[in-house]
Amino acid sequence: MKVLFLAHSEADGSLGKAACEALTAAKGLGGELMVGLYGAEVQKAADQIAGCGAAKFYGVAGGEFATARYGSDASACEAMAKAAGADMIVMPSTSRASRVAAGVAQRLGAAVDTRLTGLEAADGKIVATRWFYRQRMLGKIERDARPWLVTVDSGCFAACEAAGSAAVEMLNVAPATRTTVTGVIAPAADAQTIRPDAKLLLVAGAGWGKTQPDGQKHLDDASSLILSLLAATQCSLGSSKSLVDQSGEGAALPFLTHMHQVGQTGSTPRHQKGLATCCHGEEPHVVGWRFIGERRAINLDAGCGWAQGKADVLYVADAFAVAKKLAELLK
Amino acid sequence: MTDENTSPQPEGALPEGFERQRMDVDIACVGFGPAMGGFLHTLSKGLMNEDGTPVVESKAMPGMPPQVICYERADDIGFGVSGVVTKGRGIRASFPDLDLMQIPLATEVAHEEVLYLLDPIGASRKPLALRLADKALKALGLTKDHAYALPYTPNFLRKEPGILLSMGQFNQWAGGQIMGQGVAQIWPGTPVAEPIMFDQVVAGVRLQDQGVDKRGNPEAGFMPGMDIRCQLTVVGDGPVGNVGRKLDEKLGLPLGNHAREWAVGMKMVVDLPEGCQLKEGTVLHTLGFPEPEIFGFLYVYPGNVASLGIFVPSWYDSPVRTGYRYLQHWMQHPAIWKHIKGGRMRSWGAKSLQESGRKGEPHLVGDGFARIGEGSGTTNVLTGSGFDEAWTSGVLLGVSVLELMKADKPFTRENLEQSYVRRRRDSWLEREAKAAEKARDGFQVGVVPGLIGMALTGLSEGKLFWPGASKKPHERIPSIESFFQGRITADEIAAIRRECTAKGLPLHGALMDRAGWPAINFDGQLLVSHQDALLMGGKVQAPPGYRDHVTFKNQNVCRTCDEKVCIEACSGQAIATNPEGGAPLFDREKCVHCGACIWNCSKPAPNGGESANVDFQAGAGGLHSAEN
Amino acid sequence: MKGLQIVVLGSIVPDPLQTLEPIAGPTGPALKNELMLPAVLDPWAGHALYEAASLAKKVEGKVYLVALGPKAKLQQVMMNVAQKVPFEIVVLDGPAGGFADATETAKALAGAVEKIPGLDKSKLLVFGGWQSASRGTGAVLQMVGEMLGITDQFQGVDELVLAEDGSFTVLERIEGGCYQKSACQGAPALLGWATGNLPEPPNNPQVGMQNMRLIMPALAKATPSPLKGEGLRYASVEVPSQRRDTRIVKDAPVDDIARELADWIRA
Repeated sequence: MKVLFLAHSEADGSLGKAACEALTAAKGLGGELMVGLYGAEVQKAADQIAGCGAAKFYGVAGGEFATARYGSDASACEAMAKAAGADMIVMPSTSRASRVAAGVAQRLGAAVDTRLTGLEAADGKIVATRWFYRQRMLGKIERDARPWLVTVDSGCFAACEAAGSAAVEMLNVAPATRTTVTGVIAPAADAQTIRPDAKLLLVAGAGWGKTQPDGQKHLDDASSLILSLLAATQCSLGSSKSLVDQSGEGAALPFLTHMHQVGQTGSTPRHQKGLATCCHGEEPHVVGWRFIGERRAINLDAGCGWAQGKADVLYVADAFAVAKKLAELLK
Repeated sequence: MTDENTSPQPEGALPEGFERQRMDVDIACVGFGPAMGGFLHTLSKGLMNEDGTPVVESKAMPGMPPQVICYERADDIGFGVSGVVTKGRGIRASFPDLDLMQIPLATEVAHEEVLYLLDPIGASRKPLALRLADKALKALGLTKDHAYALPYTPNFLRKEPGILLSMGQFNQWAGGQIMGQGVAQIWPGTPVAEPIMFDQVVAGVRLQDQGVDKRGNPEAGFMPGMDIRCQLTVVGDGPVGNVGRKLDEKLGLPLGNHAREWAVGMKMVVDLPEGCQLKEGTVLHTLGFPEPEIFGFLYVYPGNVASLGIFVPSWYDSPVRTGYRYLQHWMQHPAIWKHIKGGRMRSWGAKSLQESGRKGEPHLVGDGFARIGEGSGTTNVLTGSGFDEAWTSGVLLGVSVLELMKADKPFTRENLEQSYVRRRRDSWLEREAKAAEKARDGFQVGVVPGLIGMALTGLSEGKLFWPGASKKPHERIPSIESFFQGRITADEIAAIRRECTAKGLPLHGALMDRAGWPAINFDGQLLVSHQDALLMGGKVQAPPGYRDHVTFKNQNVCRTCDEKVCIEACSGQAIATNPEGGAPLFDREKCVHCGACIWNCSKPAPNGGESANVDFQAGAGGLHSAEN
Repeated sequence: MKGLQIVVLGSIVPDPLQTLEPIAGPTGPALKNELMLPAVLDPWAGHALYEAASLAKKVEGKVYLVALGPKAKLQQVMMNVAQKVPFEIVVLDGPAGGFADATETAKALAGAVEKIPGLDKSKLLVFGGWQSASRGTGAVLQMVGEMLGITDQFQGVDELVLAEDGSFTVLERIEGGCYQKSACQGAPALLGWATGNLPEPPNNPQVGMQNMRLIMPALAKATPSPLKGEGLRYASVEVPSQRRDTRIVKDAPVDDIARELADWIRA
């Protein structure tokens, strides 16, 4: 069996963490390992994993491949996959790789499964694990068809570290595209509230926007308390749909956008710890928690069926008061 | 019939640049339930020739088939609430080849039983006569699990042979059949604000405004509710429906009629525990516990699933009547608990039932409108049957409307009287409703006369009854102090009131605790907090952009109200204490649209009449479970 | 650019509030009580549809919704969706569940798009949700694009700005709450939408009436599209046991709770 690990280099030429994790998944399949890398330049990335045991390194590089763009990325991946003639192709689930993975599979006539959280070879069979229905159920799948292209989620495998010096066979690819990537819009450093690498995820629930015991809403307080916690902990911020829906530019919680939304119609981030505040709900929220290690929650309802059995600790308390004190302590 | 160019309501309220749009159809229908199902199915079947051409042409859109539109306020046509046990005469007549396998959760009634529940706790307010009866039953060894099974089910209660249904699943199925017939369109998620009236003539309906804040003020995306003009408005929006109630307000009820008796039905659909002894098709009726006025039911669907719940009626004169806590005590009665312990709640819901029956019948027709279903007084208050009756009323209107359309007769009061009302008067529906009319009058006097009266009426087929004069719902409700007189002192009630108000909590929990009801031990799957019942069972939601549909007519009246029954009886905890005093707070996101607040208010409306101080409009959202 | 043809690919998913459980069906895994669960338009596909309608209004374009799903359920969901924005529907009567194979779904959809009468690829924008709430692969759109020969593709789109000449700029979601901005010369292109910027349109009875005249006939002549489910085998599907022993801290002073939390966060 030939296994091709296919990934893009980052802007600085290195191989990202998610890609190094996907490489571990590819290695775990056994068989003859090959590597295909694409980006502005790939040598640095190849050297970073030179000792991974790959029999061959392919590369597609150049200004055309510097940015994440369907036309160029798909052509690069297609060319390397065809050169490698692999049975299994493993890619990371980064936004850049995910944009093209299924399209590349289509060009190769390959079967495709994305966002795997597990990939194992046993008894001559390859079993892939992935979630269905927005992380509500976990399925194990198998296919006989080859080639089989998969993408694996980050946070599921240890990152491969195998630095050295690699000989990369560069392929010439002339992509056809009518698209130009013109830039990346990032929030200012002090307005950055989504931090995938943070240890802690703070989830702000609808309760922050609800009428408080004095009969009033305290959205300004809620806003400053949440921001002070973020500043004190450098955590990542997530939110429930209902709070996001009442937030946004011009609203009381202007820093919340749909990108913060976790759960059913949002993201399912991975963090070591999670603190849920003012959340109450069932299935949609459970989904948002799925990949959070240690979980604690603050809300006013001791009987809350969502926190009970889902969180490690539930503090029955006024989140406004606790958040205020907590931010002071962590300053 | 009307001057089409004049406008019934002043339009000055619309902000500049906005115009209320108007659409013309032939028949506009309000509310999709079994009655509307019966109507639309019958109409659809009769409006098309075999070759697929329409029998008559649309008047609103000449050259087209008749335009028939039905508006349902809930987000899906399957979000109705009711476990149904029915003889199914009307349904079987409409669908002679009815295959219950096609309707999820449907099955034949296999076994019926009536259980009189004793009070294993000692907190129930049973009158002396019932306490003595309980003792006698026990002494004679006739009870098992604190319950006495009646040796037979009286004929008037029997539904066998009959059908068990889930209202939600039935509505989904019926809606699919109707849409498939290609004549009528059913639009869920569309609350109707009011009928468009010119004097006593109904000329259509006005939909609720969208893109407004909670007070109804225009916001981004404002869209004034459209006027739907039509020749006939079919009102089937149930007892809490806004169009039906507005018609009653405007036209009054026929002399001698009144719709004052209500109940809130609160129920769950439960996955029964493995090894549960209850067989598919079993029907249990209960009475006697948790309070003697509260009736219960348990129906066993296919797949080891049960629909179960209680009815808390308006003649249970408690100012702190809360369905949810009583439901949990009822479920834990040994005779019920032995079956359901270890089960899991799948769904939860609540609904108001109009319990006045034939006596609550409104004007069935008028120029441009006709009424069907529960809101038209179809429920049989003796047999407790409403589904079959509602469906049949729709069928009768369907046949009548077809007759008028084919004869090219306008939908005037006179023509509708001669067709629909005449058919209804000649039907089994009327005959049985008449016999049942006074069955529950005894409950106006007390629970024992009520039970005896029902039995008398049932056994004599309507010839005998126990008399009792009705009161307006708000006149029935005593003060908390007088209700608990002799059990909880006024000082203690005052202290509880202070404490609960400060915490923004209703009083019923504290008062029931104090009255000796044990705390509920939540198990996270069957016994869950009220909030969890909403979220896990009812999946309650409210789409943004609609006004609050529950408001208080005179806020000063609320300020001085000591009972605030609206809070105590709210099925979804959507109406809450305002810690600053004044009118209660309303949270649209928790409302299940049961309408209990309409009749659970102890203060009369400022403008008098039958209604109380709570205003309940049509709103979007509510339950998102299709199993109830 | 006048006369754009915007084809939205989207189907139904169980209403997100429902409790879902897998069962083993005759042809592989399925959802327990699938027929009883209320369904909604897949949320991200819904955003795509609203964005499509908004764009079509600006450029006098036309919106098609190509949906693969069980006909009866689609009909039910359309009763809600059809009130919101004008579109013409193409119905493929087949499975919409999360356990169907993405490639088979893509083939069925691409075939239906190709068959749209008067389809002009030079004016074609294919829209859809960047992931479904059922299978969640984020793979179908790319494959449909490839099958239709569209190699300008964007995923996680929150904004599309069209210029007079038909060129457009796109904002795509990338990691860390950032956006990647791209410029494309114009149709044909494919966009997998995230949330977009538009609120859910209100229910408009006139839109509903208009749509229904075409939707009911389209449902009546839906193409049966059973998916074979070949090649994909399920070894197991389960709801993971996730119950934790929750320690409930009640009636504790705020200071104590804050201190305990601070220690935990710092640890």
